[in-house]
Amino acid sequence: MNFIQRIIIEPFERCYEGFLTFLPNLLTFIALLIVGIVLGSILRLIFLKIFRAIHLDTAAERIGVFEMLVRRGIRSSLSAFVARFIGWIVILTFAVIALQALKILTVENLLDRFFLYLPSVFTAAVILVFGYIFSNFFGRAALIASVNAGIRRAGMVGRMVKLVVFIVSATMAMEQLGIGRDTVLIAFAIVFGGIVLALAIAFGFGGRDIARDYLQRNVDREREQDKDLGDHIDPL
Amino acid sequence: MHIPERGTERYVGHMFQTLDNGGPKTVIKRQDVQARLMQIGEADILVGIPSYNNAHSIGHVVRAVQAGLAKYFPDKKTILVNSDGGSTDGTIDVVHQTTIDDFKSILVAHRFESFSKIAIPYHGLPGKGSAFRTIFEIAGALNVKACAVVDSDLRSITPEWIELLIKPIIGDGYDYVAPLYHRHKYDGTITNSIVYPLTRTLYGKDVRQPIGGDFGFSGRLAGFYLTKEVWESDVARYGIDIWMTTTAIANNFRICQAFLGAKIHDAKDPGADLSAMLYQVVGATFDLMEEYPQTWKHIASTQAVPVFGFTYAVGLEPVNVNIQRMLEKFRLGAHELGPIWENILSRDTIDFLTGLADTPKEDFHMPDSIWVDIIYSFALAAHRKVIHKEHLLKSLTPLYIGRTASFVIETWEASGSEVEEKINKLCEEYWRSKRSFSERWQ
Repeated sequence: MNFIQRIIIEPFERCYEGFLTFLPNLLTFIALLIVGIVLGSILRLIFLKIFRAIHLDTAAERIGVFEMLVRRGIRSSLSAFVARFIGWIVILTFAVIALQALKILTVENLLDRFFLYLPSVFTAAVILVFGYIFSNFFGRAALIASVNAGIRRAGMVGRMVKLVVFIVSATMAMEQLGIGRDTVLIAFAIVFGGIVLALAIAFGFGGRDIARDYLQRNVDREREQDKDLGDHIDPL
Repeated sequence: MHIPERGTERYVGHMFQTLDNGGPKTVIKRQDVQARLMQIGEADILVGIPSYNNAHSIGHVVRAVQAGLAKYFPDKKTILVNSDGGSTDGTIDVVHQTTIDDFKSILVAHRFESFSKIAIPYHGLPGKGSAFRTIFEIAGALNVKACAVVDSDLRSITPEWIELLIKPIIGDGYDYVAPLYHRHKYDGTITNSIVYPLTRTLYGKDVRQPIGGDFGFSGRLAGFYLTKEVWESDVARYGIDIWMTTTAIANNFRICQAFLGAKIHDAKDPGADLSAMLYQVVGATFDLMEEYPQTWKHIASTQAVPVFGFTYAVGLEPVNVNIQRMLEKFRLGAHELGPIWENILSRDTIDFLTGLADTPKEDFHMPDSIWVDIIYSFALAAHRKVIHKEHLLKSLTPLYIGRTASFVIETWEASGSEVEEKINKLCEEYWRSKRSFSERWQ
């Protein structure tokens, strides 16, 4: 009898007591999650109405933000997009609070580490966002300049510039996150150094004649171009 | 002569001007310049010549100006100002050394004594506008009554130009004299396809050469120009000409035109970037639309502008054009810049341009209606800040080149008067679309 009591019943009782102790936490977790979802939905609707009342979409259309969103694949209006974003932030915040309410040591440790890591994530995200914006900006500037200079592979020049700027920002973001801190930097330096060295060797040794012909053709073409558009027509 | 302190108000010509406290950006604060201005005291007429590495051509311009002042304004106190952009070829030395020794050869009986010269490098952003700013400042400091500016690379300038640019101001009370030239039908393509039609349509004044480069203006107007804070913008560069003309029109200064004959000048600097030039001129034009919407929105007709001078026919130097290269540049733009143009132009216009890019030279034609739609759409895109302004305006270059190629192909056999008729029709198209453009401008 004692054996059955010790081996089967007592563990069940301890488990049951543990469950009874944990139950309020679980209920708090569920309640907080529900409150978060409801509050997030309500705030989303409220903000949507406020944004529409102040004609945010019209202003966005006027200053070109709407076109920018469409180009980034975001089909909804700016009001809906921002309202939904606010709603999700509220839900996420309540989810984190709800997880802490469970009072599970492992989860608490994970959350602590997560919150300590959060500033790095935020900084990396900001770097990536700005990197994306700058890569588009410089890529477009290079594309337009190349087209106006009459470079046949203008599209490739624009894409290359865009890619390089984004890779630089991605490298910085990864360094911020501590992912392969030195590895990424060294890999980046090796790849770019390698490309430049390869080009230098190709033009310097392998393709001396080709490089000379290429440069000569370009110089001749530029001189001819200057004659055509600069020497004869005064646009002003 | 009075050189005021910064942060004070001063009387320039007939109006007050406030000087900012932003530091010595003005060249007339320099001690040597102040000493020279003190020495001169006051002047009646000022002629300004902006320059940059024009040693080989500026001598002729200086002689023509000096002869013009001696011949037509012998009783006035006159000054020539060379505002230089840091030339390294001795331009300033040429200005100092150039003088007319034999006045009898230009039919001036008496020696001309009240003539002074100042040749100085200007301060500020490198460009024609900054050079003009220095000229305006010196005009204000010397309290001159009438000014003129002429380009330093002119080969066709004669002493009569000075009379024609100055006389309407001194004798007839005008404030602004725009030039009127006979030019080759393919010269002045930005003027003919964009700036002239826009000025005529938006501001209602038929100023045929609004960015001609050689202007006359009163001391009062020079003082007014100095009150504007535009010297860090495109106005400091090639935008100065359209800014001067539009500012004079929009602020109800009295304007007229002077027929100067042919405009023949040295070849443009081969390093000068066409797209940068287009960006500065069109950028300044669009900025002026932002500044004066209440003026241009209410203009419903074009008024003729009085013309001074005896109009005559002149022979013009031939112009060579490489249409094939122009078409290649347009096609490259149509192929690569489509996604950018989609933010600016209508679907129909994009489709038309895509089709045009595949059209052979013989059938290549960009109608006036499409071109006007392009210009108004770019103006609206600049107004709404759809994309970065420099990207927007520089992406206009292939379209402008395509339009120029179309114009050259269509007018290959046309005479000068037929080309003028075609430009008039383009202006009518700008008029037809003005109402819808004005309504879309919020």
